[in-house]
Amino acid sequence: MADQVTDFESLQIGDPLGPEHRFVGKQHTKLFCAAAHMDAGRFTDDETARAQGLPAAILPGNMSLSLLTKLLTDWIGNSNARVVRLGTTYRSPVVTEHTITLQGFVTHTNSEERTAEIDLWIENEDAERLVIGTATVHFPARVK
Amino acid sequence: MVDYDPALIGRVFEETEPQAVSAEDIRKFCESVGDSNPLFLDEAAAAAGPYGGIVAPPSFAVSFRNGRHFFTFVPRFGSTGFDAGKDVEFIAPIRPGDEVCLASHVKEIYEKTGRSGPMVFVVIRSTLRNQKNEVVAHIDHRFMSKP
Repeated sequence: MADQVTDFESLQIGDPLGPEHRFVGKQHTKLFCAAAHMDAGRFTDDETARAQGLPAAILPGNMSLSLLTKLLTDWIGNSNARVVRLGTTYRSPVVTEHTITLQGFVTHTNSEERTAEIDLWIENEDAERLVIGTATVHFPARVK
Repeated sequence: MVDYDPALIGRVFEETEPQAVSAEDIRKFCESVGDSNPLFLDEAAAAAGPYGGIVAPPSFAVSFRNGRHFFTFVPRFGSTGFDAGKDVEFIAPIRPGDEVCLASHVKEIYEKTGRSGPMVFVVIRSTLRNQKNEVVAHIDHRFMSKP
């Protein structure tokens, strides 16, 4: 698990999330499709994926989004902070049977709103950023 | 300039029946992404946490499926298209016992020109509400097609 944030006051711009390295195989996309009520098709079968012009079976976009959300909630840990927004852009397919790296860093903090802005991404073994995202995390006020 | 009926924008074309959420649904979702966070899985730990009980991970919101009308009503501007991204606003936690409905409308249609030529983006907004009619999330699905 990546380092965790303790509270808003300790945040620094540039604080990292991850990196987290993770192998993603078809057994993982199969589990995700079942849990998220999705048709498996191109996410679990190479031939079906190739018939749709893809290089091989790929991760669902929702799975990429969910893995990035997990990176955020792992980082939040016990700080009682909350993910309030996450935006993702799928730049290239995330192909199964590869190891991906999830990471991010704090880009901005707002002390009035007690929020942190975070850039996040998923990259492949060649350090290509396949999915990029931005998130907002809100930290509750300290109890006096 | 992309041609479409402006009356499409804002019109709700999809409303689903309530979908019940169980602790088992949340556990399966967590397992599928390797998440062992006790706030999502452990009743005792979650009771002492900020929500006073088990909640779903935020991205559980994307597991609620649109109904059979969804892709019928998404405007198409070419033969190829794909999921270009999502913007999710997490407003309230989803808990076991909740019943969640989803309503969708076309939020926006716009064009962009990239290195590979013109692209049309259709943004569908899905709003998730629980059994108390509280909004729990907004999900903007961004679909891209090449005319």
